[in-house]
Amino acid sequence: MCTTKMLARSARRLSPMAAKRPLTQLGVPNKRPATSANCSTTTMVAENPFKEEFEKYRDHLNEMNDKRERLVKASRDVTQNSKKVIFQVHRIGKHNQQTVLNQAEKDIEGVTTQHVSRITKELQGSDNDSWKLRRAYSPGMQEYVEAATVLEFCKTGTLLTLADLNNRLTKLSDPSTRPFKINLSDYLLGIGDLTGELMRLAISRVADGEVEVANTICNFVRDLYKDLSLVAPIMDDNYEMNKKMETMLQSLVKIENACYAVRVRGSEYITDAQGEQYRYTLALDEEG
Amino acid sequence: MEKQFEEFKQQLEDSGNVRERLRIIVADLDSVTRVMQADLLQVHYSSRSPEILKKAKSHIGKLKELYGQLAEVIKGTPGQYYRYHDHWRNQTNTVVFLIVYLNWLETGNLLSYAETQDTLGLNPDEFGLDIEDYLIGLCNVSSELPRYVVNQVTIGDYDCPKRVSKFLSDLYAAFRILNLRNDFLRKRFDGMKYDLKKVEEVLYDVKIRKLDSSGSAIETKQEAS
Repeated sequence: MCTTKMLARSARRLSPMAAKRPLTQLGVPNKRPATSANCSTTTMVAENPFKEEFEKYRDHLNEMNDKRERLVKASRDVTQNSKKVIFQVHRIGKHNQQTVLNQAEKDIEGVTTQHVSRITKELQGSDNDSWKLRRAYSPGMQEYVEAATVLEFCKTGTLLTLADLNNRLTKLSDPSTRPFKINLSDYLLGIGDLTGELMRLAISRVADGEVEVANTICNFVRDLYKDLSLVAPIMDDNYEMNKKMETMLQSLVKIENACYAVRVRGSEYITDAQGEQYRYTLALDEEG
Repeated sequence: MEKQFEEFKQQLEDSGNVRERLRIIVADLDSVTRVMQADLLQVHYSSRSPEILKKAKSHIGKLKELYGQLAEVIKGTPGQYYRYHDHWRNQTNTVVFLIVYLNWLETGNLLSYAETQDTLGLNPDEFGLDIEDYLIGLCNVSSELPRYVVNQVTIGDYDCPKRVSKFLSDLYAAFRILNLRNDFLRKRFDGMKYDLKKVEEVLYDVKIRKLDSSGSAIETKQEAS
């Protein structure tokens, strides 16, 4: 038994085919018989006694690393394209609402089917991998949540819930497996960034003369901040979230200042011939 | 909107409770490994006596029990092993080190991943051993060996360096089969060559003075180069 095994090994080494085969297939992990120890003592060149075991570990690690690498790539694409959706939403103005939002809707659908689907394909059916590799795809999911919620707010004025968002993603997973679900932390972190976008939106709408929009946004962000402040301290990894909460409060203050400016100087602002110039400085003040 | 956040709050509080339960178990795990480690320290001051190993081994039952408790908690939150992994990660590295080291002291063999998992009574479907945790444990074994060799030679076991050097160079070669990422494991592995160097220096000292049983000068040259 010993010799046949050795022959098989050397044949594999000599075969020109073997050289072309990918590394992972060379060391086919087979059972580790007790005789292998005797084997190595009789061979001239001592085989590494741990080789077979470590080849198994290597295959396992390779598989995990490849998966992680694919997720990182997909996550970057999701981030990049979600940012484009957010930019598209910011192009919103007084008269082009419907066209801008329709385009944004199309764009985010593209992100979902082309890029988010790559993440769900890797992770569907395995909660373990979803947790283990979370760092690899978390940035992309956060940006995606941000894009989806900002768009939903512009369309309906409400917060897109995690459950609704997950329902949209269900179609991407194979129905026979447990569908991939967005991690609660990623959702909350994405919502944390939403405020910054809403602040920009509020300022630009005020500058555009739509003052009541600023009030709507202000109230929405206040509610959101209140709700998040109850949840943020007990989150899994709350360091990042606490930082976002600070930024969020700053954004909220900026929106409130804009509402104040409109309230106090509003009458001048809408009718005054100097309005143009005033609006310009207001927007700069608040956004800078 | 509020309803959703109520649910989130509930979910996060539940997970906080899970963490609390894990923390208590892991604190016990910590104290068992400390005692075990203290017991094993004695191998440095005395020649390998079966009593020391027996005493150290007597703690394995307790370890099994504690891992059983961890598994029980994780069973309540299926699929979330890696969510809470950080709680027991460091301790598990130490536990792997202790078990593999103990086994090596006893038999001179390397306990495989599967065997280590079995020794701890872990069921991979419920609560397995992370392979990287196992490999980090092996790196810990490696960093223990230079000191062991030095002390064994001091006690008078001149054949020990050869044994250890063979084992460690095999282990080092085996690790080189792996494609490691730039992470903690990689950093630990990078330290292994210094352990090997130190052990080889001891081996050289012993051989050049022909203190070991083989006493072959030719072989000495090879080892030293």
